[in-house]
Amino acid sequence: MNVDKQPGIYICGGCRIGDNIDTDALNASLTGQLQPAFCKTHGALCSAEGTRLLAETIENCGPDKLVIAACGKGTRDDAFEIDGIQTERVNLRELVAWAMEPGEDAQAAAEDYIRMGVAGLKQSAVPEPYLLENSSTEILVVGGGVAGMQAALDGAASGYVVHLVEKADELGGWAAQWKSQIPFDGSSRTLQAPIAVKMADRIREETEIRVHTRSTIDRIEGEPGAFSIQLAGKKNEQITAGAIVTATGWRPYRPERKSLYGLGEVPGVVTSVDFEAEQHNKAGQPLESILFLQCAGSRDQEHLPYCSSVCCGVSLKQARYARERHPDAIVYIVYKDIRTPGFVEDFYNEVQDDPGIVFIKGEVTSVAPDENRVGVRIQDKLLGEELSVHVDKVVLATGMVPNDTRDLKLGYRLGEGIPELKYDFSDSHFICFPYETRRTGIFAAGGIRAPQDIPSAMADGSGAMMKAIQMVESVKRGEAVHPRSGDQSYPQLYMERCTDCKRCTEECPFGTYDETGSGTPVVNPNRCRRCGICMGSCPERVISFADYSINRVAEMIKAVQVPDEFEEKPRVLVFVCENDALPALEGAVRNGLKINPFVRVIPVRCLGSVNRVWVSDALSKGYDGILQIGCKPGDDYQCHFIHGSELTGQRSEIYEETLSSMMLEPERISTEYVEITDFSDIIDHIDNYMEEVDLMGPNPFKDM
Amino acid sequence: MTDLKPDIAFKKEIEAISGASLSTCMQCGTCSVVCNVSPEDQPFPRKEMVYAGWGMRDRLIGNPDVWLCHQCGDCSSHCPRGVNPADVLAATRLQTYKRYATPRFMGRLLSNPKLLPLAILLPVLIIAGIIYLAGTLSIPAGPVNYSNFFPHAWLNSSFFLITVASYGIAAVGISRFWKDLHRFEFNNTVKRGFFASFWKVKNDILAHSRFSKCEKNRGRKVAHFLVFYGFVLLLLVTLYAIYAAVTDLYPLALMNPFKILGNISSLMLFSGLGIMIWNRLAKMEGSERSSYADWLFLTAILLLTASGVVIEAARFLNWSAAYYLYFFHLVCVWFVIIYLPYTKFGHVIYRTVAMTYAMSADRK
Repeated sequence: MNVDKQPGIYICGGCRIGDNIDTDALNASLTGQLQPAFCKTHGALCSAEGTRLLAETIENCGPDKLVIAACGKGTRDDAFEIDGIQTERVNLRELVAWAMEPGEDAQAAAEDYIRMGVAGLKQSAVPEPYLLENSSTEILVVGGGVAGMQAALDGAASGYVVHLVEKADELGGWAAQWKSQIPFDGSSRTLQAPIAVKMADRIREETEIRVHTRSTIDRIEGEPGAFSIQLAGKKNEQITAGAIVTATGWRPYRPERKSLYGLGEVPGVVTSVDFEAEQHNKAGQPLESILFLQCAGSRDQEHLPYCSSVCCGVSLKQARYARERHPDAIVYIVYKDIRTPGFVEDFYNEVQDDPGIVFIKGEVTSVAPDENRVGVRIQDKLLGEELSVHVDKVVLATGMVPNDTRDLKLGYRLGEGIPELKYDFSDSHFICFPYETRRTGIFAAGGIRAPQDIPSAMADGSGAMMKAIQMVESVKRGEAVHPRSGDQSYPQLYMERCTDCKRCTEECPFGTYDETGSGTPVVNPNRCRRCGICMGSCPERVISFADYSINRVAEMIKAVQVPDEFEEKPRVLVFVCENDALPALEGAVRNGLKINPFVRVIPVRCLGSVNRVWVSDALSKGYDGILQIGCKPGDDYQCHFIHGSELTGQRSEIYEETLSSMMLEPERISTEYVEITDFSDIIDHIDNYMEEVDLMGPNPFKDM
Repeated sequence: MTDLKPDIAFKKEIEAISGASLSTCMQCGTCSVVCNVSPEDQPFPRKEMVYAGWGMRDRLIGNPDVWLCHQCGDCSSHCPRGVNPADVLAATRLQTYKRYATPRFMGRLLSNPKLLPLAILLPVLIIAGIIYLAGTLSIPAGPVNYSNFFPHAWLNSSFFLITVASYGIAAVGISRFWKDLHRFEFNNTVKRGFFASFWKVKNDILAHSRFSKCEKNRGRKVAHFLVFYGFVLLLLVTLYAIYAAVTDLYPLALMNPFKILGNISSLMLFSGLGIMIWNRLAKMEGSERSSYADWLFLTAILLLTASGVVIEAARFLNWSAAYYLYFFHLVCVWFVIIYLPYTKFGHVIYRTVAMTYAMSADRK
């Protein structure tokens, strides 16, 4: 990187930019101030003529860096990506020309933004990708149930070597132990042989699937592209893999301390899983009467708040077992709502036609022994009566709970397991990042990820395997995966200044950092998703990325010309998250809303990457306030890096400390959260903050 | 606390007769909302659908609401699950005749198609026996005079006695039905005595006011009206005919006013039955399906009416087959009149009794 070599600047006047900004005056002023390699304007830079001129100018002047002051990143990227040239896009269109009334303030804003672009670009280097010497493309699948088997089959079919680890003697998991399975595809209404058995047969024929039965994980270390896995069991093998699919499954809910409808207390009360085994083995006598209780411990705040989605179908199936085994059996199904998604409804209709099955919508109020039978009282919801029935057996349709993720035995600083999203299920975001856990390169599938039926578990297996393949291929090129796909930058640590404070190791949502025995952070670059939260956390400013660093943003902050207090023009710095807040702001402007001309916007990779030094830099330079706008945190968070925006809230103490040491009001920094569609809200947040800044008056550091 | 003991056999019978899959009912209550006949308080047939689905036989048999239903079919046509509540109630009514039939055997005899030959053979033998006792079983010579074959004194007295005996025994069952109706209590404040209730119900029956509330099957009212008043007129004519037989006015001439009245009533019966049969044939599939009991009842009345007209013609035209046809007609009379408490014709009694009970509880 040649820091002394000045970047070139090209200013576009198209898309009405030229109508609202005097681009020639801008050119003249910037040329004088910055002495760039060149500064040129064009009426429509993305046109054929514009791009040709751009190429010619670069050829003649030979800069290796270029500021394009036109539209923002994401618009006409094809026209402005030039081989061998590092470009910085300054969004004059959405942030100035369309956002402000023409005039002195808009002109000043345009100048500031281009200066910021130049300053930032000068501090930015082209990332050198982090490449492993021997990046493994083999994939480890943990768990041989339907999800794991489907993942293995798809991985092998895509040409990858798959290691399938299963703790039991045989592949198949729960689904292979069922007497039969419900028809899911609508082609049939009769019960079918378990598909898991057929899948296990297919896997035995695949040469590219290395099956390790009777094996568990002893330890996993390393990073994507180079996971080192120690197995425990038959052979204690050691495996290397580039990515991992965890499909360790679920177990039936069985509360430990609370009582659940007499389970374990009243003889004759069993779970669906127990009953399935009894029926499969034809154990016990055919039953004359049997009661299935749906949602037993599900959709219940005392137990499992969620619906496991399969139990209704399972009870309908088992009702049929009971009726087939004893043609005069009376079967009661006590339910809140029967939920039979998809084609399972067909099977439900089929079962409804059996007069020996009596459906009661209601709630069981007591289960007690009654001589050799079980007495059940039901508060019925249809007639509003209390019913009493006497049955030979009560089957509780209990829900699915995920197995313990600590079975993966991750040798990570942040723990052996995977952080859970909700109700102990492993995922990092059910909508935005399905299958991705918070441990990069480890993808969750099946019952460990969400309660689900057999077809969903199989679809999960496919999905997680595709993600794993994407992972090993990205690692080969030294690139990040979703959401910063293709990013080749990675955290680089200037260890001389590190004080071993452990903030980076603790705050990284993805467990990128391990520690040496003495507590010094050790970075595993391939575990990183490039959000920069570690950079934001570091009090010693040790961490940086080639094209995203403390200095880069600090220089951008300094590049703004802050007017003195007598001009009565405040300056407010707005850090916006580039994932949702920036598109929301651009969307607002495209929809005709205006941005206050006194704010200067700096996009950041994640609000969590904002370092406190930027705050003190800005305030000592005389900015009157700092507004941070990020994605919604909380249980239904929208942060692309799990808790980056939440950390910003938690770091408020640090900010307060900074502000009080500068004798400034705590309101000089404020944080707001928006969704990507909150167009008017984001403008309101800015306007409201400007009013607040007005009330506080100018920053006393101005002109010091 | 209700001790639930589902009677699956009963549920199966209701499903078999009605063609409904009872568990398919999702208890939306549309049936009760669209029914114009149902009371606003504790309306039917929603709750009856639960009783049926749970095999709660005692909640259905002897339930007065089952008889307030006039089988309009509005509920079935609006049912989003195609469960046909109207047919479920109709099936329940058929089960009621069987349940209260006294002696028990009669209920089975007239509800089982396999026993139909026996049901026919029984009146054939009894009528033939009485004719034999009256003195002759040979076909009389000369112009057709039915009293030569079966003396009117014998005919009238034997049919009268057998009818009285049959209804008397059946009354034991119906009194059980009356008692069972009292198991059903409603949130009414007004209470009426039996006769006051009956007097009000009589008006409803004569005016067919409940039928008038049907939206979908308006033809039902007309058909039932014609058949109902056809029978009422025939009853009057029959009473006069007995009087004529006793006072030696017999045989009546073709233009005798009572003969004319009789012929008018048979026209009313033909047209009413025609509509009923047409409607049932048009709906052989789907909702409002017709059961064995429906066809047995309609066929018997149709044959009764047709054979009555035919023997009348045979008498005036002196057909040689007249006496055989007369015998056939008598079997039809037996089927309709003497079997009445055990067939669908029993609705004349059961429905009136149930409506009277409902009226006594101010359930309208």
